[in-house]
Amino acid sequence: MARIKAQRKRSATAKTIVILITAALLIALFYYSSVSGMLQVSFGELMRGLFIEGNDLVDIIWDTRLPRIMISMLVGCALAISGVLLQSVLRNPLADPGIIGISGGAKFIEVAVMGFFPGLFMIAPLFSFLGGMLAFGLVYTLSWRQGISPTRIILVGVAISAMFMGLTEGLGYFTGRALGPQMPQGSLNFKTWADVQILLYYIPVCVIAAILMTRICNLLVLEEKTAKGLGINTDRMRFIISVIAVMLASISTAVVGVVSFLALIVPHIARTLVGHDHRWLVPYSGLLGAFIFLLFDTIGRTVVQPAEIPPIILMSVIGGPMFIILLKRGDRKRA
Amino acid sequence: MHDKYVFQVEGLNFGYPELSIFKDFNTKIEAGKRTVILGQNGCGKTTLLYLLSKNLKRGAGQIHLDDTDIDNISQREFAKKVAMVHQKNLIPHDITVEKLVSYGRTPHKSLVLTKLNDEDQAIMDDAMKVTGIYELRERPVTNLSSGQLQRVWIAMALAQHTDILFLDEPTTYLDVKYQLEILNLVERLNKERHITIVMILHDINQAIAYGDNIIALKKGSLIYEGDKDGLLDEKMLYEIYDTELKISHYENRPFVVTF
Repeated sequence: MARIKAQRKRSATAKTIVILITAALLIALFYYSSVSGMLQVSFGELMRGLFIEGNDLVDIIWDTRLPRIMISMLVGCALAISGVLLQSVLRNPLADPGIIGISGGAKFIEVAVMGFFPGLFMIAPLFSFLGGMLAFGLVYTLSWRQGISPTRIILVGVAISAMFMGLTEGLGYFTGRALGPQMPQGSLNFKTWADVQILLYYIPVCVIAAILMTRICNLLVLEEKTAKGLGINTDRMRFIISVIAVMLASISTAVVGVVSFLALIVPHIARTLVGHDHRWLVPYSGLLGAFIFLLFDTIGRTVVQPAEIPPIILMSVIGGPMFIILLKRGDRKRA
Repeated sequence: MHDKYVFQVEGLNFGYPELSIFKDFNTKIEAGKRTVILGQNGCGKTTLLYLLSKNLKRGAGQIHLDDTDIDNISQREFAKKVAMVHQKNLIPHDITVEKLVSYGRTPHKSLVLTKLNDEDQAIMDDAMKVTGIYELRERPVTNLSSGQLQRVWIAMALAQHTDILFLDEPTTYLDVKYQLEILNLVERLNKERHITIVMILHDINQAIAYGDNIIALKKGSLIYEGDKDGLLDEKMLYEIYDTELKISHYENRPFVVTF
């Protein structure tokens, strides 16, 4: 008994250290990100400007750079957790809200509603959520054949995703919004505190809900019959967890656009670092997601100054090959 | 009379659109006994067990557990009364034997926030000791042999602390040594702990040796129901298996010659 406890404690210690290191890296990155870029200030200047006396440079940074840092972290956290939840619910390690069309559906409905009723700006995320649920419902029912087949869900998801992307673009021509110089998809430029506020309305609640569901996630990765045998109402639990996952992905999409691969890659890295137990995996993926998205945004806007590469593009460039590696590794495991 | 039977099935109908499996099917499961379900491949053995365990939804008819229709028992309440060991189980990653056994406590705990208390730990330890896996409790389940793994799943079911245990072909895929280990364990659980056992077995001689009552199915129909002595009839065996099988004796115990 004592030995088990000691061992458990040891592995818990190792996981805690991983979490603390990641948290420290995130703080360091937050600092680096806030002082670097087109406008350079020292940390001292930044602090003085923020808390003691007004400073035009610091004001600009406060209005432009800090919101995007906050958004990067919130969205990275939300997407990573969304990925973990979907992977548990669908029992498919390749599930990603971007790849299986949830984000595409969210974007489409949001763009459609905003195109016709721009005044509904503050509740735009709710429409995104409806779109995300619509896409998820489609993917879920279409890939159902006596249970969810892991390959079918990816195939159907890719098709649904492509369809919604096409619809979104088509709609742009319809409403005339495709005219004029377009902001590159997924750029975090021009994001304001209002966007941060939207994210803050929804994401913390969903993250807490996700953390409360972690025990059930652990049981849902067992087989359906096993989970049921343990008294879990699997259909209901799967639905609740899916709603949380879709909410997290849709809100993120509403603010930054469709992000692929983040929700896939972060949980995979997280599993190698803290294991498969969702009680560790969910919070840690959130933390790591925040770090990685902020990292990509920071790289994207500092390496090619004065131009910038949106984090979504970096994500796709790095994420695509990673996805293939994961697919290959999965094949080998199954063989 | 109701106390004698834990399960009562009346007028059960079940099927898929293209294939009807059970039609007006009746049977009973006696309390405190070992009941074995027998029959050819595809005769509906597993389907029957899945219907009894709320894994499949039936058509018409009634299935009562202790006088309550199982449709009126929630999944969670049901899991406190009946535990099930499946034939083939997906092995979860990165989990120790003890942790997997602890999942058996799920129906007794809140789903969101709970810690296992001393009582839970005592039940788990007991389940692991009786199944002989206590020494393996710190090992990851991925490192176990299939015989050990089967005992882990049984331990998880025992941790549910139920009066009824279902086993779906618990010995398939195991070497003879492990088959007997499992069957002896099941017998002990029945005799010492008075757990009602319902199991599907493929081997007719094991069914006779380890069962009290037999339910024999063929294409969804009940061919035989009753104690095992009635099964030892060459005509009856032909009826069930569509094959001539002789009955012989070894040390005064009858057995079916399957070669």
